[in-house]
Amino acid sequence: MIIAEQKSLDELKTLIGDAQKVLVVGCGTCVTVCFAGGSREAQITSASLRMATKIDGNGKDVTDVTVQRQCEWEYLDQIEELIKEADVVLSLGCGIGVQAIAEHFPDTWVVPGLNTTFLGIPTEQGVWEERCAACGDCILGLTGGICPIARCSKSLLNGPCGGSEDGHCEIDPSIPCAWQLIYDRLSRMNRLEAILEVQPPKNWSTSRDGGPRKIIRDDLRLAAEEE
Amino acid sequence: VKYVQKLLEQIGLGAERLIMVNVSAAMGVQFAQNAKDFSEKIIEIGPNPFNTESEETAI
Repeated sequence: MIIAEQKSLDELKTLIGDAQKVLVVGCGTCVTVCFAGGSREAQITSASLRMATKIDGNGKDVTDVTVQRQCEWEYLDQIEELIKEADVVLSLGCGIGVQAIAEHFPDTWVVPGLNTTFLGIPTEQGVWEERCAACGDCILGLTGGICPIARCSKSLLNGPCGGSEDGHCEIDPSIPCAWQLIYDRLSRMNRLEAILEVQPPKNWSTSRDGGPRKIIRDDLRLAAEEE
Repeated sequence: VKYVQKLLEQIGLGAERLIMVNVSAAMGVQFAQNAKDFSEKIIEIGPNPFNTESEETAI
């Protein structure tokens, strides 16, 4: 899932600026699961902003609403009236949600309430770790299901490097060495010969190096059917 | 409790307005002492700025 964390209340107050009528919009998907921008957080954020701005001597009209997914027009259409009434929309969605609101409501000023951080999993309650870099050319089949792009600090395709010490990364001893994890897993699965295969330089054009990415599925497009 | 304390601090009300203590049903004296200490503390901090005589605030 997409992992995000809340910005500080001070930063939110700065982002809201002089606006009087503020709509906090939560998202019911990834950021709900990582406790950053769901219905509960939207309610807490709007109440906190009401109290904080009142203490500052400029109490604002802050309300909140949460949609199932901020990244789809259909869900944003459901709150169109509320969005149009607001001076500013404070999105507690990920960066995609913020941009979806900006794109769908061109006359609305929208600001982010979260810092979208990475694609990952909760490894224990209250702890989230990065697992995928969305590089667009998955190599997990070569590495025993452990991603060296996301989990090796150097994103090495042929690891480990000389900085692997006792199974940990030289960047930070609390970070497990991805290539140690890969070695251990391949060893356990009796597939250690896979690590001997030298991987050629990766084609990064499927990742961010190729510019903004887009997928078109003509089998799903309604417009393609009409054509 | 830590989360709400952080919120109270960010809002400007102060984290010290909230504490949690653990006492069992057999610890009456301890409970009374905690209540007394905290009462003294919140009197010292002063009233909630939202509870003004002229204005009731619904949060």
